[in-house]
Amino acid sequence: MRGLFFLCAAALVTPVVIAAQTPRTGRDSVARDSIARADSISIVRELERMQAGGDTTGNRPGGTPGQQGATNTRLLPDISVVGDMIADFSPKGSTQEGGARFGIREVEVALQAAVDPYFRGDVFLGVSDEEGISIEQAFITTTALPYGIEARLGRVLMPFGKQNQTHRHDLHTIEHSYIVQNLFSPEGLKGTGATLSKVFAPLGFYQEIQASVIDRFGESDESLVVDGLEDLGEPANQSLGGLGFAARLRNYWDLSESANIELGFSGITGKRERQLVRGSEPPGSGSIITPVGIRNQRQSVIAADLTYRWRPLQQGIYRSFILQAEYMQQRNPDGPFFVLDRDFVDAPRGTNGGGYVYARYQISRRGFVGTRFDYVADVTPVSDVSNGNPRAWSAYYEFFPSEFSKLVGGYERYNPGTSVPSGINRFIVQLAFSLGPHKPHPF
Amino acid sequence: MLNRKFHFSVAAPLLAVAIAAAPARAQLKVVTSTTDLADIATEVGGNKITVRHIGEGYQDPHFIEAKPSFVLQLRNADVWAFVGLELEAGWMPLLLNGARNRKINPGGSGHLDVSRTIPLLDIPRGNVDRSQGDVHALGNPHYWLDPENGRRIARLFQRKFTELDPPNAAAYAANTRAFESKLTAAERAWQPQLASIREKPVVAWHTSWRYLANYTKVNIVGFMEPKPGVPPSPSHLAGLIQTMKRTGAKVIVMEPFYNRKTADFVASKTGATVLVLPPSVGGVRGLDDYVALLRSNIQKLATAVQ
Repeated sequence: MRGLFFLCAAALVTPVVIAAQTPRTGRDSVARDSIARADSISIVRELERMQAGGDTTGNRPGGTPGQQGATNTRLLPDISVVGDMIADFSPKGSTQEGGARFGIREVEVALQAAVDPYFRGDVFLGVSDEEGISIEQAFITTTALPYGIEARLGRVLMPFGKQNQTHRHDLHTIEHSYIVQNLFSPEGLKGTGATLSKVFAPLGFYQEIQASVIDRFGESDESLVVDGLEDLGEPANQSLGGLGFAARLRNYWDLSESANIELGFSGITGKRERQLVRGSEPPGSGSIITPVGIRNQRQSVIAADLTYRWRPLQQGIYRSFILQAEYMQQRNPDGPFFVLDRDFVDAPRGTNGGGYVYARYQISRRGFVGTRFDYVADVTPVSDVSNGNPRAWSAYYEFFPSEFSKLVGGYERYNPGTSVPSGINRFIVQLAFSLGPHKPHPF
Repeated sequence: MLNRKFHFSVAAPLLAVAIAAAPARAQLKVVTSTTDLADIATEVGGNKITVRHIGEGYQDPHFIEAKPSFVLQLRNADVWAFVGLELEAGWMPLLLNGARNRKINPGGSGHLDVSRTIPLLDIPRGNVDRSQGDVHALGNPHYWLDPENGRRIARLFQRKFTELDPPNAAAYAANTRAFESKLTAAERAWQPQLASIREKPVVAWHTSWRYLANYTKVNIVGFMEPKPGVPPSPSHLAGLIQTMKRTGAKVIVMEPFYNRKTADFVASKTGATVLVLPPSVGGVRGLDDYVALLRSNIQKLATAVQ
């Protein structure tokens, strides 16, 4: 009896399943559209008849013929994933961290949602072969403070300079500028703490001031030797004066409906742990040094950035141009700083500046060409012989199959220092893709 | 008694001064994402509101840049009216976050998703993913090109403005009636043209013409884009040319912000006409109001298709 029941059920269900799996023709698709359209319109008409002047907001579920009710009933956060892959065809070997010719630089997982009526939450987890899983950014942003003030609490890409706030995979140049890489890190400068910002326009144009206090200036230097050393000093953030403090002022003007300009000024100061070393010879002569401890030393950087954008509104999906320049100056106390006779703090040299100029022109709907010139601050430690200021010139071609994927081919000529005659040729290809909801286009 | 008189003699002039000094009722500040919404809002709000818009009519609304100057417009807005259905997904979140204006953020009294009053076309059924192009999972957002939806938008604005500014409710109601009358008169005038193009085959560049086609009853037999937001590929165009020859489609309708070179190529192979129509108010010089936009587009479509 039970077998007969299953047989009957299978007979009834099978045609439905087969029909559901049959490839649909264009006519089916049109018919389906028509049915969907008829359904939608008939529902609307019915609701409009029922309400006949009763709905007052258009935002109430009962009065919303377009979208019936909530679209995210489980209140799940937006989840998105970005993959960032690199191929390095440089003739003298890979120039990537780890030396891979083909590598996955990072996979970033983002979870974003409103926390409650007062906060929005954003979490970005980075996964890479080199670092495993790490918290790239995790912060909450206030949405209900008065006077247009916004507070951001947690770990963020520091509001310092222009490029630093862009995720590396969103850059048009594959890698951060050398000045950002050398002063901060290959992924820019992150900080864990609090940022307050306020938008104002007393002079008739957009201005924004951002002020941050963070646990420490930059991440701990992984190259520091600590094992076996007794003189580790105190942590940089032991005293409040050792915290990192940063500020940025952003100014923006519309030159016309197609062109605009942005000018920013930034500053950051804080203490960073540096290696205390014992040298066999005076510092700067390339002497053999031996780590003997850790000391904190203040590092301060000031920066200015300028961005010009042009994008004619009517041809905006085919033509655009960006010219961007950024200059940073490190203002460290000039070392070396001797603790004992031959023991000194092995920090980068004192006051030194560098920056980049970058231009990008859109040649088609999906294609862009760009070029960048880097002039880099000399961050050779005082214990080593300085090669002077490194330089680099690079050119890029970007192709966007869609808004959700991009392919970048880049060539770079890198010269390690003004006193070094030979340079390095680098050929790099980047493929980045994103999964998940449509994200705002970076501006 | 003397004391009470003294208090009154002091309080009365102060009260009078306070009343005289009280500012006149401020106009509602309305910001819209598109020119079409701005024009309809102006029709409904009249001189009781101020209206500004973010996008221009000759601009692709998907790719508006989130300029900081727009943040200044939104900082003090009472109403933020937008098309919705993810049309503004590429820039609206940045502007709303930057504006820090609770009134216009989701859940605020001035956050007005206009799509919620519209019967939608092209709501995908089943699983949706990016292999289908830049698909709008909630439905086709280009709904303003159907005049019936123009009426719905106007009524939605009337309700919202009335809710936020009850003393001017009568003015909003009268303005809405006047707008609907103007639209009805225009519709009556173009009925013969609609009858002449009914079921005629056309090709469109993007799905933005679906609502106009639904209203005019012209038959879109194919799109220049193989999938929404995806530029035409040679193989797709080859198939499209065959479709046009088979169906007799002689018009390619496209927006002014797309490069017409590809459309011209297809037209040269099929003997079709490329018809560049503005999808929004202000899309071409002189079309500065919603009814004029519809009238112009329907006239041009009828002339080209007949």
